[in-house]
Amino acid sequence: MSKYAPKLSELKKEFDEKPSVLKGDYSAQEWWDRPVEFRDGNWCFPGKQEVLADLGFANPRKWAATDEDWQLPADWQKTISDGLQSRLKKYRSLKLFLDACVRCGACADKCHFFLGTGDPKNMPVLRAELLRSVYRNDFPLVEKILKGFSGSRKLTKAVIKEWHMYFNQCTECRRCSVFCPFGIDTAEITMLVRELLNLIGVNNNWILAPVSNCNRTGNHLGIEPHTFVQNIMSLAEDIEDHTGVNVDPTFNRKGAEVLFITPSGDVFGDPGVYTMMGYLLLFKHIGLDYTISTYASEGGNFGMFTSNDMMKKLNAKMYHEAKRLGVKWILGGECGHMWRVVHQYMNTMNGPADFLEVPVSPITGTRFSNAAATKMVHIAEFTADLIHHKKLKLDPKRNDHLRTTFHDSCNVARGMGMFEEPRSILRNVCNSFHEMPEDTIREKTFCCGSGSGLNAEEYMDIRMRGGFPRANAVKQVKDRHKVNSLVTICAIDRASLPPLMNYWNPGVSVYGLHELVGNALVMQGEKKRTTDLRENPMAGFEDGGDDDE
Amino acid sequence: MGTQYVMKRGWTEFLEANKKAMLEQWLDCALALFPEKMGYSTPIAMVFSGALEKILSSLGKSENDCKEALDDVTRILAVQNFPPSKALSIFLEPKLILRDIMMKTTVADTLMQEAFNSRLDALTLEAFDSYMRHREKIYQLKVEEGSRRMYMALRRAEA
Ligand code: SF4
Ligand code: SF4
Repeated sequence: MSKYAPKLSELKKEFDEKPSVLKGDYSAQEWWDRPVEFRDGNWCFPGKQEVLADLGFANPRKWAATDEDWQLPADWQKTISDGLQSRLKKYRSLKLFLDACVRCGACADKCHFFLGTGDPKNMPVLRAELLRSVYRNDFPLVEKILKGFSGSRKLTKAVIKEWHMYFNQCTECRRCSVFCPFGIDTAEITMLVRELLNLIGVNNNWILAPVSNCNRTGNHLGIEPHTFVQNIMSLAEDIEDHTGVNVDPTFNRKGAEVLFITPSGDVFGDPGVYTMMGYLLLFKHIGLDYTISTYASEGGNFGMFTSNDMMKKLNAKMYHEAKRLGVKWILGGECGHMWRVVHQYMNTMNGPADFLEVPVSPITGTRFSNAAATKMVHIAEFTADLIHHKKLKLDPKRNDHLRTTFHDSCNVARGMGMFEEPRSILRNVCNSFHEMPEDTIREKTFCCGSGSGLNAEEYMDIRMRGGFPRANAVKQVKDRHKVNSLVTICAIDRASLPPLMNYWNPGVSVYGLHELVGNALVMQGEKKRTTDLRENPMAGFEDGGDDDE
Repeated sequence: MGTQYVMKRGWTEFLEANKKAMLEQWLDCALALFPEKMGYSTPIAMVFSGALEKILSSLGKSENDCKEALDDVTRILAVQNFPPSKALSIFLEPKLILRDIMMKTTVADTLMQEAFNSRLDALTLEAFDSYMRHREKIYQLKVEEGSRRMYMALRRAEA
């Protein structure tokens, strides 16, 4: 049980003071009778027909959430009902989560979507209840046991619409589970409901198109191998222009010691590409024997937001490629859900990866026994270890133009329990680092509001609402400490936090952690640096300025 | 002429004496805009309470210095699920609140009330501008996000 879960006496107090839906104050109306209304800004475009066909997914058709008729397949009720039954058998956690909730309300105001919207159905307890109420109707014995709590309801088309609305206002961030006395993980309920919805063709193109691309070409944007190489080589040229150092990455090289896999956002998007430059400089700095695959060219795994089988398939690709190339282990870049998949599901789904070796840092000799099963090391652990052993030549003054704070990405923080490594790196590569308020960081971190495949442009309104608690915490350090840089270790964050900051906190830019590492690294044979990797001037390094190199 | 004078003279003291009560009522109205009334310790309530206080204080001054506070409030309202008419209705509430308080306190100064109301009207219009700026910003964000995502492709196209 979480150390943040409240005590019984506190729970009672919370319950008395908590919002009223839990106590059934809406006596004239069941809470679920409040209708959902789809309008611009609150729904994501549905999966395109060709994308669904490509994946062999159900019910390809042209439709929109604003349509009255969603053209569900004729037997949709049976599909959902059977789908739920089979999953209840397969995942004991699901059954437990559905049965165990006592509706204490401790989770009610912990969700960023509730805090950003005030919509009761965004309280985790009610979100789960959207499924639970149907489950109860389908499984009358449970209903009998739970009698006195609340009613059950029939599975209607209106329920499907409601599920689509509210299980897409959950970013699967798990913040609520930290506060639940039973550790109920609403994120897993969301994952399951989205999987059920996919069975009848109720879906989101922003999730399915990357899945399909990844399935075909190996990465979310569908970048083909030659373009993938071209992008990275062009970043390598930029590095040479800025620093005078040739980082010469290799691709698909058999027999390399390490396979490096990162989210493809680092290869094509701004500001991800600057993080990529940081990795490349780091690997050059330590002389790492590594290669990059143009086939396993994606660390992210949108399968996780689609179905268990899809997640498994996309995850397996990384391991197939590691085997094909004959590397010893895998080093993974800054990503969120890729790590949740690797940390929590990989070993059960595709493990053990016996053909790989337990990762050992070739520079420090550190054996990463925490990765003994998955054989995959997070770059923050890897770099923190390098710094700890004083293997990097760093000049943190090169980041003096940045006043930083750190955003814990949900999946890395709550999903795999990594809190200290990124902070230790940050403290060594820059001189100004200020934490956001305690109840908004580490295991209690607030989501960016766009996780789990919700960072579609058309969804901007919802994303801004859901991201508000995070942005508000950034604002506090901005006001108090003049913070101008939000550092993070997740590719979705690098894509979604810039608009979030631009809206709530203009003037705060978003950085990948290894971009700051890249700025600070003093490379052998480098030319005098006056700008950072973004070509922004570094404070105190202006031409003619004092460079203590 | 007259209104300005009255605002300066009586209003400052009146406001000092009643600000806390007005603010409490006003904040309650603002929080009740949401489907489930927002709790006082939520981030939205915190921002609202700080900003509404600044707005209220600025009503006592002849110079309008609450632009930032106004922005803080409308930035939240502009992305909510309710229409602008409902969102901006919170700027009409203080009129009623003031009237109630005046009735209770027997300070039935109509001139002061009028001055206050016309200040509020101006403020509501400003809030409308600010709300629209935030809506425009949302559209701008969508465009910018698209190009950031395609950064390398655009760079190649430009080269
Ligand atoms: S999910 Fe947990 S915290 Fe939330 S109401 Fe149920 S038992 Fe309480
Ligand atoms: S997992 Fe996160 S987004 Fe989903 S209900 Fe819990 S707190 Fe909200």
